[in-house]
Amino acid sequence: MKKILLAPLDPVHDNAVKLIQRRLREAGYHTECMPPGTNEEEAIGKALEICPDVILVSRTLGYQSAEILGRFVDLADAAGLRDKTRLGVGGMALTKEAGAELGFDAIFPGDLDMNALLAFIENRPASGDSARVRVGTNLKPDITAGYSYKFIDTRIEPILDSITAQILDWVKDKSSGGIERAEIRSQAIQENVDFLQAGTGKGKALRDRYLALCDSEIQAFYRDGRLLAGVRKVSGDEIEVLPRLLKADDQFYRTLRLNGSKPLFFVQYGTGCPVMDIMHIKISEAWGADGVLHFDPSWGAQHEGLMSGLLTHEHDGTIVTLENLKLIKRFLSLRTVWNIRGHRGLNTPETLVLGAEAGADLFKINIPYGSTGGGTDPARLTVDGVYSIMLASQYGIPFDIPGNDELSGVPPHKTFAGLLIMMALALKLGAKPIPKPLMCFSPYMQISGEMDENSIDMNAAKLNIWREFIDTPVWPGEPVGFMTHTPDRVQSAVSTAAYASLAASLGVDAITMASSDEAYAKGPITAQARVDTLRGVREMMRFTGNSGYTATPRSLRIQSRLHEDIISVLQAVEKRGDFVASIYEGLLGNSEDGLYPGRAGRGTVVTRQA
Amino acid sequence: MGKATDHVLDAIDIETFLICNSAEEGRKLAERLLVEMNLPRGDVVFLEHSGPGARVRLRAYIHHPGDHYLWLEDGGK
Repeated sequence: MKKILLAPLDPVHDNAVKLIQRRLREAGYHTECMPPGTNEEEAIGKALEICPDVILVSRTLGYQSAEILGRFVDLADAAGLRDKTRLGVGGMALTKEAGAELGFDAIFPGDLDMNALLAFIENRPASGDSARVRVGTNLKPDITAGYSYKFIDTRIEPILDSITAQILDWVKDKSSGGIERAEIRSQAIQENVDFLQAGTGKGKALRDRYLALCDSEIQAFYRDGRLLAGVRKVSGDEIEVLPRLLKADDQFYRTLRLNGSKPLFFVQYGTGCPVMDIMHIKISEAWGADGVLHFDPSWGAQHEGLMSGLLTHEHDGTIVTLENLKLIKRFLSLRTVWNIRGHRGLNTPETLVLGAEAGADLFKINIPYGSTGGGTDPARLTVDGVYSIMLASQYGIPFDIPGNDELSGVPPHKTFAGLLIMMALALKLGAKPIPKPLMCFSPYMQISGEMDENSIDMNAAKLNIWREFIDTPVWPGEPVGFMTHTPDRVQSAVSTAAYASLAASLGVDAITMASSDEAYAKGPITAQARVDTLRGVREMMRFTGNSGYTATPRSLRIQSRLHEDIISVLQAVEKRGDFVASIYEGLLGNSEDGLYPGRAGRGTVVTRQA
Repeated sequence: MGKATDHVLDAIDIETFLICNSAEEGRKLAERLLVEMNLPRGDVVFLEHSGPGARVRLRAYIHHPGDHYLWLEDGGK
């Protein structure tokens, strides 16, 4: 057992020394700790008495630090201690350079890093600081693992069974250009056909079939090399430099979790440029993000067809191409969970095909949300969405269901009814769904005043209610605290951290968080804004630790009312007997709520040939 | 190492407090500060006036997504 002597060469400050002593004792070391105000001679005298392997001295005050610490080293030399004893020093007043000049064997400036300290005691190289975790090769978590997906509320199961049976019966003879393109793209991948090179033969025939199903801008891209406005190709030079730039150690990361393995923390990216995205992802990973979500440009959802190649884009959202996705995947940490969204556009099935090929871990699909507001026509997205769920099932890739229609003003009971329909549909098709109730200060809440007293009761109810319905993972999003953020970085990071803390304490499985630029609309999200929030969340996780929130009587009342309201919505959809008509007619959110059916792709559903 | 600004991933944020009588005056001063500091593509991200002045966050994008990134040139070497 190694013997450690701890000596605070400081008149008052010995908190760090006491902390180190406790940690070293817990780690099995024999320690002797001297009181604050110990002078150099007393420390050396004690060392001669007990013959420690290591002496750790500390000095917080800057006044006369160099003189005192220098004299301590000189005395240790003169006493012949240094043949068998190594000297370490720590303290806020210290720099590495100054400590080395004084002759110490190791210097620990600033915050306590136990990992580095233990490495010094054991005379081995440090392997990252103690807040960092070693990345294994098989540590990518499965959010759905351990959940049975059994319905707990037996009242809703037959209702959902009836609704989903109607949906599946309705789509069984229908198709769309989006589905056909996904099938062609899948074939192209299997046959190694590159649409950018397919000038002749079978490849050209396949590409021509594909282009016949695309908008004119996409056709012009492939036929004439014409890029959409604001789009350019990424140069080879940019790609070549990235591996050298990112050669830094990727084996460790700074976890945001201090207790247990949940929740996973996700951030969204989509700067427009895959190279910039990679930098933002690497920064997020380094500051503790467990997963990332790919966001594509909003126009990508409204064009029939997807481009190919390495493409960058001047505005928000990074273009979905197989090459862009593969480039990003190449630089993801082995532990990073990767979600590619495809929930609301005309290219939803094809996005899943490309995502699976590129190595996605998760998808995002929600028919009711995606077919409202600025999204896709409900009939079209129901056909494409069901096909996409089948693809996700075939690939064995879970998908999440964002409840972001609340942002349009839809009350949570209508949004949640839509999430439950999607859950039941997925389970019927053998997929693994993850509901994403939105933690937010939505227009409905602002108008109704239901969150005037506090932000906890309603949001806790919105998370806890899932445990009453079904044994499922829960992933609040997207991002948490939506519509609470302002352009003030402190307010924004604090708000996200508070929502994340609430969600974590209620046992959720994952959390999506914004950057502190969430409410800044005049430019791209910056790297420092990502760090702001990740740093804030880490601090809040430390503050909350293993304590937690308990549902108040008011929160339980909200939960109970929400439960009954959700069942009422589901009963109305079942009674209507037509899921698509239910969306058109506003049963899951109407114009009074602020919602209207999506228009993209209207009239494009076709009947499959028998 | 090259120029420090070449190493800025995307944007420089400047946090400060401007002595002024109103948010409007603070905004004008903030915009003038960006010009005086010769920062390109500058913007006032956040400004809140209270008491003797305004808490301000200014931003200048050095590398916009899709630009040619100078940190790639230096960082790769």
